[in-house]
Amino acid sequence: MQDIENEIKNLIAEIIEKDPSEINPEARFIEDLGVDSMMALEILAGIEKKYKISIPEEKLQELRTLSQTVLIAKEYLDKK
Amino acid sequence: MMTKQLNIEEIQKILPQRFPFLMIDRVLELKPKEKIIALKNVSVNEEYFVGHFKGNPIMPGVLIIEAMAQASIILFSYGIDSASDKNLNYYLGSTKIRFLHPVKPGDQLEILIEPIKIISNAAIVKTSVKVSGNEVASGELSFVAKENE
Repeated sequence: MQDIENEIKNLIAEIIEKDPSEINPEARFIEDLGVDSMMALEILAGIEKKYKISIPEEKLQELRTLSQTVLIAKEYLDKK
Repeated sequence: MMTKQLNIEEIQKILPQRFPFLMIDRVLELKPKEKIIALKNVSVNEEYFVGHFKGNPIMPGVLIIEAMAQASIILFSYGIDSASDKNLNYYLGSTKIRFLHPVKPGDQLEILIEPIKIISNAAIVKTSVKVSGNEVASGELSFVAKENE
């Protein structure tokens, strides 16, 4: 779980061009980190590619924090 | 899914761009939401060659990106019945493109687009552009479709 969190944190950091240390698990993507809808889609696509999973479009609006994102990734990894 | 070809009349039913900014002349191969190969013929008559550059005409890289984006719109929108009724506008979100060789008058861009992720109102695609079989540009771009207000 910790590994996945770190991997996803680094993936998000690269997409939103911030240092991974700035991305706390509960930091809000939009309000605290300046993530827009296009970046959110890139995060979703990045996770799909990295873990070879498919996450449905409806989940996009649930990507609000790192910890929520990790939970969603884990949910679909378990279904794999 | 059947592979389709589109002529310029069909292209103009999908793309909102017009002269001097319609950057696709023909679609050679279209598998909706899966793959498109589109053509852009580069003519010395195009106005930007007057100044880009004087005595050394080279197609601006940003216009190659525009051609990639327009091919992507066709891939994204084809088959959405209401795409033209709804008056959708398209906005580039991000681009990550590498340019490998200059494009000159007489070249024919063969633009390949394949989706990385398509959702109902946005897409991320990867692209490769070739001239006579040689890759001249490649990379990724993302865009969003919004209804015109």
